[in-house]
Amino acid sequence: MKNAYIWVLWLINTIIFVLSTRNPIYLLLVLIVLFTLGNHKAKAQHRKAWIGLNFRFLISMVLISSLVNGLFTHIGLTKLFQFPENWLLVGGDITLESLIYGAINGLIIGSLYLSINIFNLALSVKQLSRLIPRAFHPIGMTATLALTFFPSIQQRAREIKEAQMIRGNPMKKISDWLPILLPLIVTSLEDAIILSESMTSRGFHAVSRRNNANLAVISLVFGTFSIFSGWILNLYAYPQVISIFLYVVGGSIIILTLIKKGSEFKVTHYHQVPWQKIDILLSIVFLTSIILQIISAVFFENSFSYSPYPQLSMPSFNIGGVLLSAIPILPILVSDHD
Amino acid sequence: MINIEGLSFKYPNTSQYALENVDCQIKQGTLTLIIGPSGSGKSTFLRCINGLVPHFSGGTISGKIDVFGSDPINDGPEMLASNVGFVFQEPEAQFVFDIVEDEIAFALENMGVTRTEMHARVDEIIERLELSSIRYRSIHEISGGEKQKVAIASVLVTNPKVLLLDEPTSQLDPISADQILRLCVSLKKNTDLTILISEHRLERLLPYTDNVIKMNNDHNLNMGSPSQIIPHLQNLPPVVAIGKKLGLNPLPLTVEDFPKNVSSNRKPGIKLVQPVLQETNSESILEIKHLSAQFNQEPILKNISFSLKQSEILVLLGKNGSGKTSLLRSILGLMDSVGEKFFKSQNFSDLPITRILNQIGYLPQNPNDLLFAETILDELKITLKNHGLEKTDQDLIDFLQQFKLAEKLNQHPRDLSVGERQRVALATVTIHDPDIIFLDEPTRGLDYTAKNQLSLLFKEWRNFGKGILLVTHDVEFAAGLADRVVIIEAGKIIFNGSPADAFTKFPAFHTQTARIFKDSEMFLPEHVI
Repeated sequence: MKNAYIWVLWLINTIIFVLSTRNPIYLLLVLIVLFTLGNHKAKAQHRKAWIGLNFRFLISMVLISSLVNGLFTHIGLTKLFQFPENWLLVGGDITLESLIYGAINGLIIGSLYLSINIFNLALSVKQLSRLIPRAFHPIGMTATLALTFFPSIQQRAREIKEAQMIRGNPMKKISDWLPILLPLIVTSLEDAIILSESMTSRGFHAVSRRNNANLAVISLVFGTFSIFSGWILNLYAYPQVISIFLYVVGGSIIILTLIKKGSEFKVTHYHQVPWQKIDILLSIVFLTSIILQIISAVFFENSFSYSPYPQLSMPSFNIGGVLLSAIPILPILVSDHD
Repeated sequence: MINIEGLSFKYPNTSQYALENVDCQIKQGTLTLIIGPSGSGKSTFLRCINGLVPHFSGGTISGKIDVFGSDPINDGPEMLASNVGFVFQEPEAQFVFDIVEDEIAFALENMGVTRTEMHARVDEIIERLELSSIRYRSIHEISGGEKQKVAIASVLVTNPKVLLLDEPTSQLDPISADQILRLCVSLKKNTDLTILISEHRLERLLPYTDNVIKMNNDHNLNMGSPSQIIPHLQNLPPVVAIGKKLGLNPLPLTVEDFPKNVSSNRKPGIKLVQPVLQETNSESILEIKHLSAQFNQEPILKNISFSLKQSEILVLLGKNGSGKTSLLRSILGLMDSVGEKFFKSQNFSDLPITRILNQIGYLPQNPNDLLFAETILDELKITLKNHGLEKTDQDLIDFLQQFKLAEKLNQHPRDLSVGERQRVALATVTIHDPDIIFLDEPTRGLDYTAKNQLSLLFKEWRNFGKGILLVTHDVEFAAGLADRVVIIEAGKIIFNGSPADAFTKFPAFHTQTARIFKDSEMFLPEHVI
């Protein structure tokens, strides 16, 4: 699955489910699914390290979150022990429920982190840059490159650390790491300058018509002002139709400005986005899942959610929750194609 | 045609001109070599031609530049992209995407070329530069030579009229460098491309050069044919030096130009002497036995065994990616390996890195990684402190004399020239007086003067009893220093012996002298009288 738009739908679907359910059984299922998918996506030689890194992150989040919530939230009926009441913030009952609630938060953070890591594994810089609206092409491209700069900065940091060790620096105390900072900043800036020179000399940001930049800024400001005004009027109980009118006017101005601005960039794309049958099918599955979850959250009581308060109980478990937990595995079933 | 009239340029916040009143004309379909000492304005000159100077650098510019009808000063580099291609010194730093094919298509996407045409042009350039085998591969997984080819392909895909290359072979082994240069020549012939190359290693470029631009220290330039410019240089390429020594007229500029009757020792009155090689009978101070290492589960060093003697310069040669740097890092414990390592007969395989580095000084490929203090003096004090040593300022000044840096001891290391910075880095890794010194590509980006200074320094260290392990692609530099040579290929030692054998029997590492006097043991101009 190489279609970047489907991966965006996959990410939105996974994030919505992870954030809307607090059911530890479903969260554990999602985590198993994500680790399986990540293991499949990671390159063979990096699999062990990828799993190890993400697993360590997950465990640390569960522990930290559980500890913090346990210490600062004194709700719940199953008291484990008590700190003196006069202890600032932490004074009071330490309950099993608050520890469990914290642990669930840790599972959620770990799942989100894993999802974003898999998204990064699945898409190349090129595919990520494809997701940027054309009007934001230069700034979006720069942001994408900045994100992908992190691995190279890590690599540079390793090289500089090695160079400092060569000079006899043991690299054991925090102060030993200070000599890494300056060379890292300088070399990263030098690399960034070369990259931007290279991009510019290959025609990046060669805008054909530059003379209406100010007009675009004025239009965007006016559009935003219109939406903001609608919101303010809505707050003071003016007729809602006025607010809706202002929202529509503001939104239209912003969209039209972006379309107009985007047309100034004559950027084309080398790769055609693949839309094979399986891509369309997956899009439908993810979109349906997203819509169902939103409808369920807005109009019905969310049957997948869980809270350990006031007293710990067994989380519910139904086939719908299991299916939603398993949906993120779908990309594993699709062989890569382009 | 490229026409430059009265071009002067100053970088921001400087009073000195980087280029001053430069005039020159470069004809279409020619290859022009730009030479000159570090800091003489070679890169600035190239950047003016595609508009990176002044649009990217800022500064004050005057004069006129006409590049096939475009004006880089007014239009800027992004508008010249379709006419002028620029390949930077470090290919890795200029890549935007991670897949070869995507990187090549980047410029076409920016120009708004239709997808059908883009595919046709990418296919064509991939075929012409023989990149089919790596088309879909990650840029991080290909060799240095392949990266340079991809960088060239990514600018040639727009069918530019001018190709600018800033030291394109400085990081390449001799074979990869020759491939890149032959590629340039074939492009020039087949597409009438105008090529300008800035390069320090003249011996590599001269066979392919139509014109030479010599940048002077006063930031002006001389332009002419190679035969007009090269003989007047202070540091001559070996073939020219031999020609001059033998009083040949006209002076040969390339090995192919060298008179055959002289090279086969038939000309009366000319003698070729067998090189007198320095035999080192001292004891081994470093011994490596059966060293093996892996990277990403792939073996990169396979059962390596060799020794380094006291007062010996051992040169380690090999193609890009053959495992030279990995070998140095494995010995130092900077990467995992199996095997035995002995320092003066004591096994140090299990010692911590800091203990190993007390005995071995190591200069890595990028000296900038080592330097971070405010002054040269502070840099030395930091290394001493790390090793738990102390020296007086006077001792440090005396130490800096050998690096010709004593007068600059209070300067910021990053304000120095490339060659001076390299010497500061060397000083920081040797101030604790190690018995062994590892040098990884110490001549990268250095001009002839800076290289000569390094060469003298290394010889001095050898005479003081140090053992030096030198990794380099610079065959001429290596030949001038080597007491012994080890050649490594795909992680295995394939040769360990005399420089005469290494530089005359392995075509990939032939010096110019060896190429002139085939079937002899001569490999340096000094061997010819």
